[in-house]
Amino acid sequence: MSQRTRARGLAAVAALALALTACSGGSEGDEETSGLDNRTGAMEDYAAGDQFTATEPLSFSLLFSDHPNYPSQDDWLLWSEITARTDVTLDPTLVPMSDYEQKRSLLIGAGDAPDIIAKTYPGQEDAFVSSGAILPVSDYVDLMPNFQQKVADWGLEANIDQLRQADGKFYVLPGLHEAPWQDYSIALRTDVLDELGLDVPTSWDEFRTTLEAIKEANPDEYPFSDRFSETYPGGNLLNIAALGFGTAGGWGYNNATWDGDADEFVATAAMPEYKAMVEYFHGLVADGLMDPESFTQDDDSAIQKFVTGKSVAIGANAQSIVNEYEPGLASNAPEATVAKMPFPCGDAGCVLNPVSQTENGIMINADAADSPNFVAMMQFIDWLFYSDEGQEFTKWGVEGTTFEKAADGTRTLAADVDYVGLNPSGTKHLQKDFGFAGGNFAYGGATELLWSTFSEDEIAFQESVADYDMIDLAPPAPLDETESEQLALIDTTLRDAVSQATVQFILGQRDLSEWDAFVADYEAKGATQYVDIVNGARERYVADNG
Amino acid sequence: MVTTVETAAGPLPARKGSLMKDSRGYRVFKVFNVVAMLGVVAVTLYPFLMIIARSFSSDTAIRSGQVNIWPVGFNLTTYELVMSDAMFWTNYKNTVIYTVVATAIALVLTTCYAYVISKHHLRGRTVLIGIAVFTMFFNGGLIPNYVLITSLGLKNSLWAIVLPNAISVFNLLVMKAFFENLPAELEEAAQIDGLGTYRILWKIVIPLSKAVIATMLLFYAVSFWNSWFAAFLYMDKSELFPVTVYLRNLIAGSSTAQSTGAAAADVAQVSANIQSVTMVLTVLPILCVYPFVQRYFVSGVMLGSVKG
Repeated sequence: MSQRTRARGLAAVAALALALTACSGGSEGDEETSGLDNRTGAMEDYAAGDQFTATEPLSFSLLFSDHPNYPSQDDWLLWSEITARTDVTLDPTLVPMSDYEQKRSLLIGAGDAPDIIAKTYPGQEDAFVSSGAILPVSDYVDLMPNFQQKVADWGLEANIDQLRQADGKFYVLPGLHEAPWQDYSIALRTDVLDELGLDVPTSWDEFRTTLEAIKEANPDEYPFSDRFSETYPGGNLLNIAALGFGTAGGWGYNNATWDGDADEFVATAAMPEYKAMVEYFHGLVADGLMDPESFTQDDDSAIQKFVTGKSVAIGANAQSIVNEYEPGLASNAPEATVAKMPFPCGDAGCVLNPVSQTENGIMINADAADSPNFVAMMQFIDWLFYSDEGQEFTKWGVEGTTFEKAADGTRTLAADVDYVGLNPSGTKHLQKDFGFAGGNFAYGGATELLWSTFSEDEIAFQESVADYDMIDLAPPAPLDETESEQLALIDTTLRDAVSQATVQFILGQRDLSEWDAFVADYEAKGATQYVDIVNGARERYVADNG
Repeated sequence: MVTTVETAAGPLPARKGSLMKDSRGYRVFKVFNVVAMLGVVAVTLYPFLMIIARSFSSDTAIRSGQVNIWPVGFNLTTYELVMSDAMFWTNYKNTVIYTVVATAIALVLTTCYAYVISKHHLRGRTVLIGIAVFTMFFNGGLIPNYVLITSLGLKNSLWAIVLPNAISVFNLLVMKAFFENLPAELEEAAQIDGLGTYRILWKIVIPLSKAVIATMLLFYAVSFWNSWFAAFLYMDKSELFPVTVYLRNLIAGSSTAQSTGAAAADVAQVSANIQSVTMVLTVLPILCVYPFVQRYFVSGVMLGSVKG
């Protein structure tokens, strides 16, 4: 917590420092980029699908988040192959992943940021926009044919619009997914279900029935003991449940939620859907189906309950099943099988959040626009992050060295290379020894590419959600400075109040009959004001930008 | 603590045995004291023992919560694994170098500064003290400091870690109080015998100040050994990091990735086992040094504080 507070404080300081020097920097507004004359090293007719190769050797600096499991090595094939293919040398500034955001704020604040700032989640650029230290990339996307093509082909215009700031521009180049995907769900002991003759549940109602049946067979234990509550009580559970119930919660909680039918933002915790969700989980706890500690225990405690057979259901993503549950169960209950249940449907139908189609991407230092190599750099970024070849390269490596590709397009790892347990006999590791499939470069892309490293179980899970509907994306409602200060003042108070009350109501510490009083208090504490400001910003944006 | 109790109790037993027994209240107090101290010891030692036990345990045993203060599923492979990581040793070596150089420089500078400002007849002494104390309450802030270090060309060098933290004002004031406490007559006598300022400092004052110097040595060495923030700020290459940054990345990095739901490629957990092994290896040297310096430590701090 303190670390996050410090990082946030630092971002604020950085933003302030930059605001003071803003007059000297800043973008020039909309430019006719095809007429840019800083084209040293750039290709004349670079188009989507082309291999980018600089016409003369270039070097770009890069802010690189260094992962403890596969720390960067100078002799990675990744670095040398990038140079071989594009004639560009990347000069990484290595930052330990643990404190990446803090150093990023510092470097941008000090005006010392590298050209390319990797691993930036949409929303994280907000703190730097007003300073002019970050390039408004939307002015330059015509230099990026692959990016434009992917946005158009995959229908991501609405996702991109969400990134727009008050000036109608966006400042972060996000990672793009062809289709929404869902990683988190709830893992179940499928062997226990088989034993009791139960079907795998597919909705929240069926989930409850399943838990009841398990409870009946083993009345002494809580069948469901959840985790992912370390940073936010019920962070994952409420986040995924909120989709089915038609609201927002947990990690995904925001005080204002877009209501497509009403065509406006509404206060989240005051939605009847939010109350329905709280009532549902209150019911689980009250009937002894869900461990009351689910909202307070650390992950390790919940994992212990699951792998020792005390609980039968637990929150999960693909990695936690392979890395935590299966190894843990192997020693305690060798016959146990675990699988994610299909993403549960609810009253709002079977829905996913299309926000998952954009993920972390890159920011570009505004000073880069004055570099003679600017056009070449944008082409290089476009090729490396957004072309099919670039995405395959950063994920799988070099064909013939780290992987083989069959005629039907199926990729297999080279005989001596291992990655996520796909080739356990491999002596070298795709991430550690070659640098591929790392979080700085490899994310998103075509569904085929994303699934290419998934296990069969995981592909089955992804296929089960492929025909789900999408919830409406919230339209852009960028705030001006006064507004964001106002909202920052009340946002945390409201979040804390909601988080606390949610857990109290679920655990029965507060009676559900007090719900209306809570909502009235929530609105009086500033929820109404909050929503009014957001709706006002939305209207202003529409008026200014159409 | 133990040493002071022993010396204080030293002259007592002869009289005590012949004249009187401990009063009842005092005996109750002693029992209570021992129990309370044992409680504190247990609370302090428990996390240490647990980390050590985990470092020797198998990962599955840790996950299923069987490890307490005794290893379960004994294994040494993790030690082999961590010790075979070249980067761990590079960073470990950096920590040793940074700590030794930084402590040496810090000791010299702090001693000289403290000696100077302990002399009441020195003109401008209050200004010198004021300059030091001012930095206790005000500083330039993170970004200006970063810009300063960068423009001085210290980035990615040992000096970025060593120089900005060379004088800790707290340590300086403790040392100043200690020097003020030394009898002025000693130095006057030395002066009459013909010693100059520097030789007085070297031949008379420093030999008499071993306790406080040992204390400062420990203060500085421990703080430099544990520090990670300066290196994190000013170093851009992982081969320049101290082992604390390595450790921090290992521990903090692994827990943030899963809770924020990062890209699948980046979600990977470092086993609890590796974390414990790294912690043990990092803490070990300081733990070994502590007992030897500790006896100076207590008296050194007390001496400084008498005339604070």
